Amino acid sequence: MNVRISLRVFAFATALWLAAPSSALAQAQPKPQPRPVPLRGQLLLPEFASLADKASEVVNVTLDSQLLGLGCRFLSTEDPEEAQVKKVCTSLRGIYVRHFTFDQEFAYPKADIDTVRRQLSAPGWSQMVNVRSNKEKANVDVYVLIDGDKAQGLSIIASEPREFTIVNVVGTIDLEQLHDLTRFGVPDLEIEADKKSFTKLPPKRN
Amino acid sequence: MTDEFETQLRRALRPVDAPEGFTEKLMGRLPKAEPANPPVVVVALPSSRPAAPALRPTRNFVLPAALAASLVAAVMLGQHMGQLRDQARQQREIAEGREASRELMQALRVTSQKLDMAYQAVTNPPSTSAGEEENPS
Repeated sequence: MNVRISLRVFAFATALWLAAPSSALAQAQPKPQPRPVPLRGQLLLPEFASLADKASEVVNVTLDSQLLGLGCRFLSTEDPEEAQVKKVCTSLRGIYVRHFTFDQEFAYPKADIDTVRRQLSAPGWSQMVNVRSNKEKANVDVYVLIDGDKAQGLSIIASEPREFTIVNVVGTIDLEQLHDLTRFGVPDLEIEADKKSFTKLPPKRN
Repeated sequence: MTDEFETQLRRALRPVDAPEGFTEKLMGRLPKAEPANPPVVVVALPSSRPAAPALRPTRNFVLPAALAASLVAAVMLGQHMGQLRDQARQQREIAEGREASRELMQALRVTSQKLDMAYQAVTNPPSTSAGEEENPS
């Protein structure tokens, strides 16, 4: 009889001891954070759901400052490519990429792209490069957000017959360092250029 | 015949006095008895402390022992669960960090590829179109 009672007490008390800290931990769970306010230089990118459904390859990267810092910490210093990225990413506060590849030529949703372009017409943003390729039917627009004498944001809108890309980099950007990154396995494309930012010629009209 | 037998029987069973010295001889042949142990006297001395209450055999210490054992078991289980939770958190952080670094590399590859498209177009413009634009006449 005594053994039965003591076993019951043991089980009940053990459950009580274990339940107390668990409930305390459950109460200590952080509340869901409200949606963060976009940083200066950060674009509100659409979901491009219609593109994602038809694309053969999708790259959707959303790295806010927290994830970017975490990713930076895990980059190797021994690998030269990662070491170079590590130098660049320490001053960045966010990277957002939407990249779609298609098996056949595809008409991109103009409304979604216009939504992004409208944000790039805001004060501070200036178009640095505007490339229009008739031969390859490729367009690349590069925008930079200048704050003082430093670039605080970079945006790229690139479209080809079977590729569509939007890049938004937020943070203090060293363009020389970023340019150094272009050594990474880049394809050689024949593109006709509209050197808007480098010559005094007006944009070429097709 | 019967009377004679009765007479002989009465003669044989008549009381006879013991011979002189019989008692001394008999006592002399008996083994001598051991001297008896002196009796032990136990005296209860008065105590300065009050007398402890009588303990019941088992019931009073079983429940505290069960509680103490449960506390120890709960602490050990809690420590073990805490260690497991820490390990899971560290593994989750490592997995998230590796995934973030992979995404970072992927994002910067796409960025550098598109930047290079623009860079190549600006630094190496096609000579025919550039010449036409610079000399429109």
